[in-house]
Amino acid sequence: MSTLTCTKLTLLTLAAVVIQIIGLSLFVLGFFPVKPALSGVSGPESFTSPVCPSAEDHNFTIQSPDELKSLYLELSNISPSYDRLILMVVDGLPAEFVLGRDDRPAPEIFRKSMPYTQSLLDRGVATGYHAKAAPPTVTMPRLKAMVSGSVGGFLDVALNFNTQELLDDNLIGQFFKIGWKMVMLGDETWLKLFPRSFTRHDGVHSFFVKDTVQVDHNVSRHLDAELLMIDWKLLMLVSDHGMTENGNHGGASYEEADALMLLIGLRDYDRRPSTHKTVNQVDITPTLALLFGVPIPINSAGILIADTLKSLEAAQQLRALELNTWQLFRLLQAQLPDLSCSSSCGVDKDGPGNDIGECDGNTEEIFCCLYIKAADLHKAWKSCQVLGSNKVEDYRSTVLAYNDFLRTASEWLSRRATNKPVGLLAFGLTGMILSSLILLSLLYQLEQDVCMIKEDRTSHFSSRMHKWHMDEIFVMAIVCFLVLSMGSSSLIEEEQYIWHFMTSTLYFLLLRKAVQSISSVNTQDQGNFMERQIKRRFIQMSSIIFVLISGRILRGWHQGGVNWTNFPDISKWLESEGTAYIKPVQLVSLLLLTTSGFYALSFLRPSKRFVIVVGLSFLFPAILVLQYIINYQSSGVPASSNNATLLVQIIYATLGTTTFGIVVAVPWFMPVRNPKGCSSHHYNVLHVGIADSLYLIGLVYIICWGLLQLLLQQPINSAPILLLLVQILASMCSSSNSDPEPKQWVEVAVVYYLGMAGHFALGNTNTIATIDVAGAYMGVSSHSTVLSGILMFMITYAAPMLALLSMLINLSRRSKISLVNAQDVDLHFLLKTTLAYPCLVPLGLNSIFLVAYTTILLLMRNHLFVWSVFSPKYMYVCATTACIYIGVLIVASTVFYTYSTLGLRKMWIR
Amino acid sequence: MEKAEKKLKLSTNSNSTLLPISSLYTFILHTICGLGLALAYWVAHNVYSVSLVNDPTQTLRLIWVIEAPIVILLFSGFRQHPNQCSYIKAVGRGLLGLPAGAIVNALGAIALGAPVGIQHFSKTANWSILMSVFTIVPTASVFGSSWIEWRRIFAHAKPNGPIDLLICLPAHGAVIGAWFGAWPMPLDWERPWQEWPICVSFGAMAGYMVGIVASFSISLFQKHLKKE
Repeated sequence: MSTLTCTKLTLLTLAAVVIQIIGLSLFVLGFFPVKPALSGVSGPESFTSPVCPSAEDHNFTIQSPDELKSLYLELSNISPSYDRLILMVVDGLPAEFVLGRDDRPAPEIFRKSMPYTQSLLDRGVATGYHAKAAPPTVTMPRLKAMVSGSVGGFLDVALNFNTQELLDDNLIGQFFKIGWKMVMLGDETWLKLFPRSFTRHDGVHSFFVKDTVQVDHNVSRHLDAELLMIDWKLLMLVSDHGMTENGNHGGASYEEADALMLLIGLRDYDRRPSTHKTVNQVDITPTLALLFGVPIPINSAGILIADTLKSLEAAQQLRALELNTWQLFRLLQAQLPDLSCSSSCGVDKDGPGNDIGECDGNTEEIFCCLYIKAADLHKAWKSCQVLGSNKVEDYRSTVLAYNDFLRTASEWLSRRATNKPVGLLAFGLTGMILSSLILLSLLYQLEQDVCMIKEDRTSHFSSRMHKWHMDEIFVMAIVCFLVLSMGSSSLIEEEQYIWHFMTSTLYFLLLRKAVQSISSVNTQDQGNFMERQIKRRFIQMSSIIFVLISGRILRGWHQGGVNWTNFPDISKWLESEGTAYIKPVQLVSLLLLTTSGFYALSFLRPSKRFVIVVGLSFLFPAILVLQYIINYQSSGVPASSNNATLLVQIIYATLGTTTFGIVVAVPWFMPVRNPKGCSSHHYNVLHVGIADSLYLIGLVYIICWGLLQLLLQQPINSAPILLLLVQILASMCSSSNSDPEPKQWVEVAVVYYLGMAGHFALGNTNTIATIDVAGAYMGVSSHSTVLSGILMFMITYAAPMLALLSMLINLSRRSKISLVNAQDVDLHFLLKTTLAYPCLVPLGLNSIFLVAYTTILLLMRNHLFVWSVFSPKYMYVCATTACIYIGVLIVASTVFYTYSTLGLRKMWIR
Repeated sequence: MEKAEKKLKLSTNSNSTLLPISSLYTFILHTICGLGLALAYWVAHNVYSVSLVNDPTQTLRLIWVIEAPIVILLFSGFRQHPNQCSYIKAVGRGLLGLPAGAIVNALGAIALGAPVGIQHFSKTANWSILMSVFTIVPTASVFGSSWIEWRRIFAHAKPNGPIDLLICLPAHGAVIGAWFGAWPMPLDWERPWQEWPICVSFGAMAGYMVGIVASFSISLFQKHLKKE
């Protein structure tokens, strides 16, 4: 029979974790392509060539919008064709309904429902296009694509923490900068995207799909007034995406991607029905920008629609193409750092570049070649124009060359942004599944080993098969329920309910088990033993009931979720009562946290003096935190003041050094004496010392973490931190008093679940908006993304980390138990039977969730809510994985350190 | 433990509570319990024209007002130790069990996340009284305050005999049904029946019915086995 050795177990676990990390990062890179984009906003510099920077140093110091407007006009050399734009966006109108498909006209029923539009099209007043939308064909990303021209990735959305505002360079922003007055009528989504840009607006909430009247009415009641002024204007009718036959959208099918673009009022239009061309939705951005004389937004991947410029002179048309080319070239340079083409500068070629035939080579060379070709032709054309000997063919070939470059560049850019490398995704998922299987099989093997050892020992007592208890089954059922619930977007939004429901049910089952075990005591022998048993049952049941009650309070503290955030909860009530209520709660929490820490410390028997020293060393940081709460938090003093920052930094330093010092010192100085009443045969210096040290270190960790969280979290979260800490202690207390010794994996899983329920009890949700950004700058004197990121992570994962750190206490008790029972104990055996579960169970559980959720994300990649619900949740799943790694690493390294130190001490004593 | 149970069996047999009951009798017993609930729902729906969805408080009250007497009167007839305990006393125990069980059920529901607040009070109260009728009241009527029996029925779920089955299975069915009934509550379907305690009550009643059917089938099956 094969048994796991300690080394094999460690190595396999490490291998599984490494495979998981690789798989996860491959998947994330494949699913959320990080496209290097340019930051900032296009300005006057976009009218200069990116390849050959002109010698003159433009120093644009423009303040007023009017000045900027005239500067743009001067630089671009293109006279704006229109000065008013009406952009009408229809949600989910397929171009097929208006323009038909594949040269067939639209069906009669649709033609009849939009008679005026059809008459405009027939007369040739309007020009229609199929504007191909890129997936996800969901309103918000499409609106962003239309105004910024960029093909969105997810990560850049995720990184704009709690704002829906469009921060990328976009048309609305450009118009605003040159002093345009903008009016928005209709869906309030636009107001969320551009909160400060509109001079007048009237937005309505249009969430309810069937209400097609409300927004329309709201728009049309303003139109008469807004349209009174008549001057040169362009009406652009676009739709954000199409839809399938039954009205769904989000995916990439022809029907869903088939959006409409209709230009009405072009000055120079063909007076005949156009053959409806296909353009890309992102082409709207450069077209509008050039038509209205603003720089093209910096990350736009679109190419201008040539038909719209027909009213301009040839030189101006070429200039527009040139500007578009420069902008795309800059964007290409951001993604292909080797693309410079600087060789073409300075050297004035005499020929118009007709020596260059087909362009080939690697990507950079192709782009460079295409660019140079177009630029040379343009230059030649310009020099001919000065001489007055312009030829139409030269003009045509220049336009063709520019279009070649633009089309190639645009296609390359959008393909890069939307393509999902299937191989990478599959490889990543396989890696995660493999690591999950390794972890689970290790757990299974370990459980078999532990059972075998137990059976060896108790074979005379009962040799029958292990009967599954309700709580053990339910711990596994929770995994199934959670995995199933992840498929529903609303259960992801309201995940806090599931964790609380599951954890509470689990504790009810534990309570039931406790009641069961009373009976087995009742019928056994009477007297002193009986009395002790009753006391143990009482402690066990009352701590379970305490966990249940505090769990309910935690659930009621923050309503959480997405759909019912307006429901009353304790935090809202406290906040409405003001600081007069919050501050006492905070102070009481601090006091109780410190007290319960000391109380738990007092259980450590060996040396009172030693424990008192440890306890007192935590009094100092506690007092500092108290001082911070009294002086700075929620009392009107800005928390960013220098004194506050200094104090916070002192607290960080004190807490850090105290914890580190204690953890390093404890195994060396922990007094080791044989407890009275125990034969020295089973107990020896090493083992007593290990159990006591681990208990003490575990407590030190969670007290330190609790104090730190009291400082970092919002004031309102101080009581939940206390409750969580006491809840975990109570849970440990209940399992240490339960009588058929509960399986260690059940204990660990229960604490893990408590931690996850606590994560949501602190007000976290699966949307990115609830991350506490304010706390992330506490004690950080200069802006540092890394430090703030770490603080943000610590605030968000306070509860799971607390649960993981508390595993050390469980470990300490377990090592005591295995000491009492085992005949001959060596380090490896002890490590395997105690440390393996606290590491393997969280890793294993998390690996199941990770695999399940990755699969769901893949299945849902075309779902309507993939960007708003599923992807943010995936970010949280990844962060939880990181949290588990860190927690397990801390626990494992602490245990290794303690064991080796005490091993050394034992050697010296001998 | 086992010894105690054997002793218990002996004592129940000697007191001749659980006489061998005929299949017809078992059937009638189960039917009354099930039909009582159906009747209550029918009365609420057709006589008072209220339903769980549009007026949960009123409906739940009607259901328990009709179901509680049926359960108490029926189960008091099967009380343990009928020689030492009069029928009236058993009815009294059942009546006492009603509010006590309601408190236990309400606390359990709140611990699992039921909303707390004055506006929810009457709904929670009526729901928990109904749950008490399903779970605690029959046991209270039959076994009174016998700790061993309560533990056997609820902690160990080891019924023996048709009456035990009729107490144990529908009670567990109601609790498990209510537990599953709570699942649709967080979904954003915006349906009126997702409110507390409507879907939970539906779940509880469905679970109770399933429990009755299961208990009847098992008792028939056991009888069949015995005959063979």
